[in-house]
Amino acid sequence: MQAQTLYEKLWSSHVVHQEADGTALIYIDRHLVHEVTSPQAFEGLKLAGRTPWRISSIVATADHNTPTDHWDLGIQDPVSRQQVETLDANIREVGSLAYFPFKDERQGIVHVIGPENGATLPGMTVVCGDSHTSTHGAFGCLAHGIGTSEVEHVMATQCLLQKKSKTMLVRVDGQLGAGVTAKDVVLAIIGKIGTAGGTGYAMEFGGSAIRALSMEGRMTICNMAIEAGGKNGIIAPDAVTLDYVRQRANPGAPAFEAVESDADAEYARVWEFDAAELEPTVACPHSPDRRALARELGEVKLDRAYIGSCTGGKTTDFQAAAEVLVGKHVRIETFIVPATVEVDADLDRLTVAGKTLREIFTAAGCRIGPASCAACLGGPQDTFGRANEPLQVISTTNRNFPGRMGSKDAGVYLASPLTAAASALTGRITDPRDYYGGNKSVGAV
Amino acid sequence: MQQKIHGKVYVVGDNVDTDQIIPAEFLSYNPADPKERRYFGRYAMSGVPAAQGGLPQGNVPFVRGETFASEFALIVAGRNFGCGSSREHAPLAIAEAGCRAVVAESYARIFYRNSVNGGYLAPLETARRLVDRFHTGDEIELDLAAGTLTNPTRGGTYDLQPLGDVAEIVAAGGIFNYARESGMLK
Repeated sequence: MQAQTLYEKLWSSHVVHQEADGTALIYIDRHLVHEVTSPQAFEGLKLAGRTPWRISSIVATADHNTPTDHWDLGIQDPVSRQQVETLDANIREVGSLAYFPFKDERQGIVHVIGPENGATLPGMTVVCGDSHTSTHGAFGCLAHGIGTSEVEHVMATQCLLQKKSKTMLVRVDGQLGAGVTAKDVVLAIIGKIGTAGGTGYAMEFGGSAIRALSMEGRMTICNMAIEAGGKNGIIAPDAVTLDYVRQRANPGAPAFEAVESDADAEYARVWEFDAAELEPTVACPHSPDRRALARELGEVKLDRAYIGSCTGGKTTDFQAAAEVLVGKHVRIETFIVPATVEVDADLDRLTVAGKTLREIFTAAGCRIGPASCAACLGGPQDTFGRANEPLQVISTTNRNFPGRMGSKDAGVYLASPLTAAASALTGRITDPRDYYGGNKSVGAV
Repeated sequence: MQQKIHGKVYVVGDNVDTDQIIPAEFLSYNPADPKERRYFGRYAMSGVPAAQGGLPQGNVPFVRGETFASEFALIVAGRNFGCGSSREHAPLAIAEAGCRAVVAESYARIFYRNSVNGGYLAPLETARRLVDRFHTGDEIELDLAAGTLTNPTRGGTYDLQPLGDVAEIVAAGGIFNYARESGMLK
């Protein structure tokens, strides 16, 4: 049998039907649902008199349009409230494996709650009406974002009509230097191959530097595959993956399969990076591929730092930021937005130098908001951390296209949590290696 | 889907992402509600920075003032049109404004599929960089069957790449209509 890549194995094991021209029906194991891209799909399902094919594939949460401040007041904006209540009603009517509604202790950004709650397992096909679904590829899943028509299609049939992608391997070998993180790796990759470099490809990330990353770091890499144009990013599962997954597996969870590419599998395209050459990296406005090194941008004055999102708002991201901020005070307004309620709770559970992360951030003068997508994608005018003015912002998020975080005239610099935190201390873009003790485990973020 | 489109063209550059096509602040509107759906038309392309909207002169809004429809019948764009989020609201917004086709050098894949799946618009590709040749406001003629785009104002007829196997889905008005018409769904 011909050697196969991980992508090809995941593809073949999920083909339900294949046409002569290569178009195939692919079976979907996990369907993550949120309030923004689902109402029309539920409506279509209802109008056609259908029920979901497999309710137990659905895991839902509210994340994009939940309030980003003052949860005690409930959802004030009537249109947003309607949208979240519509999801509540749809899930009540249709059912789901699990639903984490507004204020639930397991609510949060859909791409972080999936893994957190054992809903993302190696070998699965995972879809969601959100482009950052590529995140789940970090667990050896075939995962990609879909639009609302396909959300309805998956609910109705549990399948998607797909054409096979070309295969790409991005290999990062060697050891990352202290202060160089997964975010720097992926910004370097996007800077090299461009925002459309991965278009039409399934992007697999491999090599010793990828293997050395924590699951959260791998999620950061796969999360941003879409910013290189790849619908999905994949990393083969290993002991790190299995350890993470087993800790979170639910009773009665399906058996999962950890597959990897055959050693002699061929890829249509291969990119190679030397980890030792990578440095703290920044994407300048207004595109994720406008790569520069943090140390080259010391003249860029900032108005704001933002640490949050599915890309840079995970527990390990805040641990990294706390390493830099502990015992210091920020010079620009700095927003902290946990990806999930669980991550928010970690701010009280975890410590650096004997202080909780929340204590460190509060003492440093940061503002901490409740879990949500918040200002990563702008949102309504009153969104916590939204750049309503033409501000210069350093952010751990994923996109810096014009207007992404609010004002079209704002300039967003994408960076790692270490770089964002170091820059918050100086008010200019700052290489974190000047402000950071060099804790290796944080470097694996 | 109509086979011929006549009207004015709206020109934008490279990497116009879905946040520019329909900013996230408007995603709380429900497309399934006809009263709310109109707002996607009003705010279509409203995230494009003013100077880059309606090239080459810029500062031309796609939808004027408080109206719900665009005066433009076709968008001509550069590379990687529709990159970014998977919101199907993006092609929906362009279609809701009355524009049923885009001609770009290339597309981000999710936007391309969404355009087809929802039957919103024909995502046409051309090998030529029309962004540098066409001016916003030029009267154009798009012939889907012939696969050509003509610009009588500046002269020139350009071949479009065939839509291929998605043509039938666009023609049917989306995947569900297509599946019904072809007997795959009841």
